[in-house]
Formats: sequence, structure tokens, C-alpha cells
Amino acid sequence: MKGLVFDIKEWAVFDGPGVRTTVFLKGCPLRCAWCHNPEGISPKPQLLVSDASCIHCHACEQVCPHEANPVQCTACGACVAVCPLHLRNIAGTWYEAKDLASLLQKQARVLKANGGGVTFSGGEPLYQHMFLKEVIGYLDGVHIAIETSGHAQPKVFQDIISLCDYILMDLKVMDAQIHQQYCGQDNHLILKNLTFLKQSGKPFVIRIPVIPQVNDTLENFEKTAQVLEGAKTLQYVELLPYQKVAGAKYQMLGQHYRPGFDEERKPNVDPTAFERLGIPCRIL
Amino acid sequence: MNTHIQNLLQFFIVDKKHTEYRQKPIDAYSLAQEFATQGKDYVERAEQRLLWMLSHEQPVVFKDEKIAILRTMPVIAEIHTEQEMAVLKQEYHIHELGKVCNVNPGYSLLLDVGFEQKTDEISKAILLHQTKGDEDGVLYLQSLQRVLDAIQQFADRYRAEAERVGNTVVAESFTQIPRRKPKTFLQALQFFRLLHFCLWESYNYHNTIGRFDQYMIPYFQHDMEMGLLTRTEALHLLEEFFIGFNKDSDLYPGMQQGDNGQSMVLGGLNEDGSDAFNDLSRLCMEASLELHLIDPKINLRVNSKTTDDVYALGTQMTKQGMGFPQYTNDEIAIPALIRWGYAEQDAYQYVVAACWELIIPRVAMDIVNVDGLSFLGCVVDALPSLPDCLHYDDFADLVRSILEHKVTEICAKTANVTMEYAPLLSLMMDGCISSARDISLGATYNNYGIHGTGLSSAADSLAAIKTLVFEQKRIDAKTLVCALEANWEDYEDLRALMRFDAPKMGNDDDRVDSIATQLLDWFADSLEGKKNDRGGIFRAGTGSAMYYLWHANGLGATPDGRDCGEAFSCNFSPSLFAKVRGPLSLISSFSKANLIRVANGGPLTIELHDTMFRNQESIEKVAAMVKTYMQMGGMQLQLNAVNREKMLDAQKHPEKYRNLIVRVWGWSGYFVELDKVYQDHIISRMEFSL
Repeated sequence: MKGLVFDIKEWAVFDGPGVRTTVFLKGCPLRCAWCHNPEGISPKPQLLVSDASCIHCHACEQVCPHEANPVQCTACGACVAVCPLHLRNIAGTWYEAKDLASLLQKQARVLKANGGGVTFSGGEPLYQHMFLKEVIGYLDGVHIAIETSGHAQPKVFQDIISLCDYILMDLKVMDAQIHQQYCGQDNHLILKNLTFLKQSGKPFVIRIPVIPQVNDTLENFEKTAQVLEGAKTLQYVELLPYQKVAGAKYQMLGQHYRPGFDEERKPNVDPTAFERLGIPCRIL
Repeated sequence: MNTHIQNLLQFFIVDKKHTEYRQKPIDAYSLAQEFATQGKDYVERAEQRLLWMLSHEQPVVFKDEKIAILRTMPVIAEIHTEQEMAVLKQEYHIHELGKVCNVNPGYSLLLDVGFEQKTDEISKAILLHQTKGDEDGVLYLQSLQRVLDAIQQFADRYRAEAERVGNTVVAESFTQIPRRKPKTFLQALQFFRLLHFCLWESYNYHNTIGRFDQYMIPYFQHDMEMGLLTRTEALHLLEEFFIGFNKDSDLYPGMQQGDNGQSMVLGGLNEDGSDAFNDLSRLCMEASLELHLIDPKINLRVNSKTTDDVYALGTQMTKQGMGFPQYTNDEIAIPALIRWGYAEQDAYQYVVAACWELIIPRVAMDIVNVDGLSFLGCVVDALPSLPDCLHYDDFADLVRSILEHKVTEICAKTANVTMEYAPLLSLMMDGCISSARDISLGATYNNYGIHGTGLSSAADSLAAIKTLVFEQKRIDAKTLVCALEANWEDYEDLRALMRFDAPKMGNDDDRVDSIATQLLDWFADSLEGKKNDRGGIFRAGTGSAMYYLWHANGLGATPDGRDCGEAFSCNFSPSLFAKVRGPLSLISSFSKANLIRVANGGPLTIELHDTMFRNQESIEKVAAMVKTYMQMGGMQLQLNAVNREKMLDAQKHPEKYRNLIVRVWGWSGYFVELDKVYQDHIISRMEFSL
């Protein structure tokens, strides 16, 4: 079957053990206020326009089948080909599972030699779980990691996790209401899946995007630490302090970035709540 | 770094206080005019210049420094008047400034024996040449002795000045050296500084440092074993020594500030298969890492014995954004040199020239950058005949024959090379004393290197023609030629198609990579068997030097979607507008060619966003990229940690970025000191982020 990929990053150094190629699958059920990959949210191809250096030659408008009305844009790509500065891109390329797998398999030897493999990220990679399963099925002798929000039906989550060698899962905020408020969904599925993950025997990392005044409280860190205490295969907790560049791509999608929290404040990245319970904690 | 080093950095680098000691600039041609009036011959002039320069230098010793010598004469005197030079240029091929440059002197030939012993050696040679009745030889050797005397006198004046200011450390060094060999590591460093300084005073430039960790290790080990130095003290000595390379460097000739050839080469494979990387190599890297200065430029020789921690230390240096180290793969370079006829023991000693070209210390008078071939120029010349070609192979054959023709022309142009005599340099090259023959006349090896520019653009252009014109028949050949002639005006759609949707080198795409391999093979084939005017051979390379701008300037639009006049990429890298999937595809593409045949020099350059170097773990993973490229069969690699936003801001606010260092082509310089055209080119190179 076909799947929608919005980026493939080679020599990724922060997406799991060793050197990795990371595949970004499009589509995500969450709507996190701080999302820095907004082009990964929609499950459809989208037009990205960086108009800062646009010379207003109107070549794009002349070829547009929808009279250059952004609301009607179907990401057909007609304007991408004619832009002389190549300021237009389509986020989202359809790949046949087999083709994607063969592209990745070609790199497998080098990745393996450098202690790495392939990482599936997103969006939310479980959003295209059927496609993902098929791709993984084609890969032979490749170390597979996944970067997931954990928001998926437990059956899907368990099914895919069992095929992976290494899991990087977000645990954004423990309070269900705050989770709902800032991510568009509550966290009951995530916590349920975490219970499974802790007992799965698979090595995993918990990542917390630390957002000022949303989840950077001692209380949230303590609750997170408590739920992780004693998890035998937990490698470490990684705190990812919020970066102000997160909003950069929204404009390219014709959207506005309205984070709904105070971007200017420095997030609190105090690891003591974790260290107190003997959980190794890193700050990226 | 201790406070002593911090003070030196403040004084010499930040405040540049030492420049206050510089004398009023002389007229560059006044001495030449005198020589001409006196009717002095050209041999005598080279010696006389050095004597004159040294006698006009004012010794300056600062109270606390351990390694002295400062340039006070801003201008080096020419020995030919402008009229004489014009006449010479009619008769001879004058390379660059007409001086011996860009070779690697054997400093240890003087350093390890001292001047007294060297003078004796010359005296013996004089006797020998007298018995042979070789009068010219005798005169030449006597001139070499006068050069040694003059340097000794200069050193004596430094000793006196050191005593005057109460600097006993410097005074003690000059009591021993250069008369006798150094007793300590410090004296060896002072000796080197003296020799290196005198080379610049002789108007020899691009004076490479070479395998410093190999020829200096005995002095370092001696002091360590005798307990004269701790490791930290040795590090501080090295740091002070390194600062010395940056004191007068603004006075050195080069294409741009920073292009001064002070390349140091560390590590390397020994003939017995062991790795030569030693304690001193590591210490040099640490000193460079702490100082964050553009000189000396660190080059690493790597091979399958190179350990991961050396790659990681190198990557730490890259993280600093200095644009080095540059890596050269012994396992390609050494066999390549042997294939070109260098003796095995010489090939194992290779170093890099000012940028990246392979040269051999002490025995080679190679001109490694004698000219450059424009691959893309060959494609452009073939384009008018494209509509007449029935098959792609017909067009490719035409490109090949044009390339062969151009190579023949380039080689012919290099005939009848002449250079100024270089007596001091000759004292540091094998055989010049015994044969009484100046190095400017040639050495054991006299090979010429030719750069190859615009390779990726040429391969992309041919691949575009092959796939879109001949295979898919999406474009008509005549239309394409018209579009190119019009510089794409009214053909914007076609331009976008060629520029962004045709196959590009750097994506591990065999459709293009195989063409690049072919172009390089043609280049190597066309030089095979050709001899130069000095009996040497021609070596093909993947470097560009400044030709990436020169060859592109005024060159018409090309089938890869390039506009008329648009710059080529630098050295061995994808075109500036090629969308490259990522570093893994990139290194795969650039390791496919038969690099052993085109090993004159020229690295693959990869720009990585500085966030990739965030922590030790990620640094090790970047280091693995270097190692992987070498394992794939790459020859030279150079990584840059860059940040485009920073460079754009530096153009607007240069005052805030005085210390921003960037790699230009084969050397690093301060971004704000570069001409804008070079700044813009660097900004336009593609960077990979996390």
C-alpha cells in the first residue's frame, strides 16, 4: 500500500542509538500548541510556500487551476514546477511501502556499521500503522526505532511496538485536562499504552517537550517520575526545552502560530524530580 | 589556556599591538631598481634580498614571551623590476608570483644539525665542486653559506635585544640556535620560527609546515623523558608557538586574507603499516582547539588504524567552526602517489600543500595548481552540436574530445616555467647542496597538478541531457539550445525543470554519478603519458581553488538549469542548487569515482548546521560520517559547522562577528575580512540540519 511521507532525514543524530535515517510520516491525531512540524499534522499533501524572497513574477498564479485561491488548494504541484526561485514545495510524497523499504534497505549496511538503523517519526507514525507495518515487514536486519506520542488504539500500539527494537515516546503532561487543553486530546490512551510499554521488555526513552508554564512544574515532573519509577527497560528521560524557532513553518502553510503560552519565558528544566527516584535524566 | 596565553592572545590577536613596531613600508621595487642598475645577476639577487631584508629588520623581543621574532618590514622587496618581469613573462611561463611557493621544506635538515655543521657540509661540497671545475656550483654554494651567516647574524641581534629587555629565555635560545642543534623542545620551536620567518622574508610563500608531529617528536619526547616539561607546559609552549603563525599573517601574500598556506599535517600511515599519530599530534589538536585561531591549519591523515577518539577530537575542532581539520585518506593518497611514480618511501611521507594538494616534503618541487580544467566549459562548448547528435553517446564523445583538446592546451601553456632562486629553501630540500643546484630549477619530482572545476554541474548537465532529451524525449534539443542561448528568458518553465527536477549529483543516483566518474576518468586519461617541461607528469584533481568563480564568470547558461555566470560549487561538491537527500546519499555519490586517478587534491565539503554538534554523543556520530566516507573510498573530506543566520547577520553587523571563521576553498579565513562575492558563495552552500 501507499503511505504519505513528508521528510526523510539522513544521518540523524538525535533519533535513537547510533546513526539513523529518520522517516517522517504525515498525519497526527494531536494538536499540540508547540508543534514545530505543522506540516506533519494533516494526513494530506500540503503546499509549503516560503515567500520571504518572492519576486512576484506571478508564474505560480498563472498555472494554478484554482485561480490561486489558497482555500481551494489541492497541493497539485502545478505552481511548484514554475517558481523560478523554487520557493514552493509539497510536503507529503506518496511512497509505495516496498519502494520506501528498498530505499532504506540500501542504507542499512552503513547504518548498522554505525550502531544505528531506521527511525519512524511524524506527525504520529502510528497514524499510518498499516503502511508502517508493511514497510517494517520488508526491512531485513535493520534496527527499527519509533518516535511516538503514544496516542493510538492499544491494539495498534502493541502491534507496532512488538515490531520495533527501540521506542522514543513522549509524555507531554500528566494532567488529563491540561493535556486536552494543549494537545487537543486527553492522555488516557497514552497512559494506557505506557503501561504496556513498561512491561514490554523493549528499551525505551521518555521525552518531555518542556513548555514554559504548561508542563514545567515540579508537580508534573514528580508525577511523571512516579509513573516511570521501576520501569526496567527505561533508558532515560530526556527533557527537550522549548525552542522559539518552533513557529517558523506555520507561515509557509498559510497558518498562524498562536502558541497560547508565554514563549519568552525560559522553561524550567530541573531534573531533580527524576534523579530523586533514580531515573537518569538528560537535557537536550 | 593559562593567563600567559590569554595575555598573548589579547596583545597579538585582539589588540594587534605588535603592529605598532612595523616600520614604514618600502617601495616594493626600489631594491630591484638598484640591482638592475648594478647589473646584478638573478642568482645573486635572491641571496642579496634576504640579506638586505634581514639587515633592515628591527629585532623586537617582549619581556614575557618565550618564542620571539616579529616582522617589522611590512613589504618584501622584489628582485626584478616591473620591466624585467614583463620581459621574463614573454620568454617564460611565470606561475603565480614567480617565486618558489607551496612546497614543503624539510625544516629538520637545518633544525637537526645547526648552522655550523651545515656550513661544514657546504664547505665539503665546495671542495668537491672545485675539483670538478664547476665554478657556478662553487659560487652557488658560497651564496648558501652567506645566507646561513646572515641568518646567524640576525639571530645574534635577537639575542642581544633579548638580553637588553631582560628576557633570559629568548636570549638563551638564541645562544644555542641556530648555530647548534636545539637542546630542548622550546629551542626547537624557536628555531622553526626563525626558519619560517626567514622563508617569508625570502618572498617564498605558502610555506607549509608539514609533518610537524613527526619531525618535532624527538625534541618533545626528550623534554618529557628528562622531566623538563609537563604535558600542560608543553601544551602552553605549543599554544604560544601557534600564536606566532598569526602575528604577521596579514602581510603574507594570498588570494584573500587567510590564504597563506600554513598547513600542518598530523598522523599518517607508516611504511610498516603502523599509525604515526602520536602524543604530539594530539597536543597540537588540543592547542588548536583551545586557541580558536585560523593558523596553523590542521590537516589529519587518516587510515583504517585511525581511532574513533581522533575522529571525535577532530569533530570537536569542526564544531568550533574553524573549517578544519581537513581529512585525507592515506589508503587512497599513498597508492595514488605510487601510481604516479613517487617512490614508496616518499609517498608515505606525503603532506598537503596550502590547500589540499598532495606534496612530498624535501624532494618535490611540484606545481600542484598550475592551472584548472573547467568540466562545465567542455559541456558548453559542445552544446551547439547537440541538435545534430542522434544519440546521447554522440554528444558524450564530443564532450570528451573537447576535454582532451582543452587538456592538451592547458599542458602546452605550462611549458618553460621559471622561478626566482630560493637559496634558503634550497637548504631545506634534499640534494641541493650536493648537486649545487637551486630548488627553483627542480627537484626529484617536478610534477604539475591541474584542478577540475564544475564537475557536479557538468555531470548534472549531461545527465539532464541524457534523461530528458534522449531517453524520455521530454525536451527537444533545439529548444534546449535556444533556451540556453537566451539565458532561459521566456523559457522559465524549462529552467525550473532542469534546475530542480533533473537528476543531481549527490543523491546516490547512478544516472548522474556514473557520468561524473566518466568525466574524471576522461580527465585522468587525457593526462596519462603527458610530460611537462621539467620531465615530470601531470596530475588530475578534484579541487577548484578560486576557479569556481573564475571559470563560472561569463560562462553561459547550462542544461542543469544554471544561469549564465552563476558560480560553480567549490571543490568536489554538489551544485549549489542541487537538492541533496542527506549526508549518507552525498558521501555515497562522492565515493564512486576512481579517486586514485584524480588524487591531486580537492575535498568533498559538507556543511552541517551547528546544532548537529550539540553534545558529545552527536559529535561522535558526526565523526562517524568522516570515518564512513573514508571506508567508502573517499579521498579528502572537510566538514563545516555553519549557521546561515549567523553569516547573514555578520554581513549586516560585521563588528559583532570579528571572530567568525569560515572555510573558503582550501583554507579558513575570518568571514568579515572576505570579499562579498566569497561571503555570498559560502552562504549559498547547502547545509544539512538535524
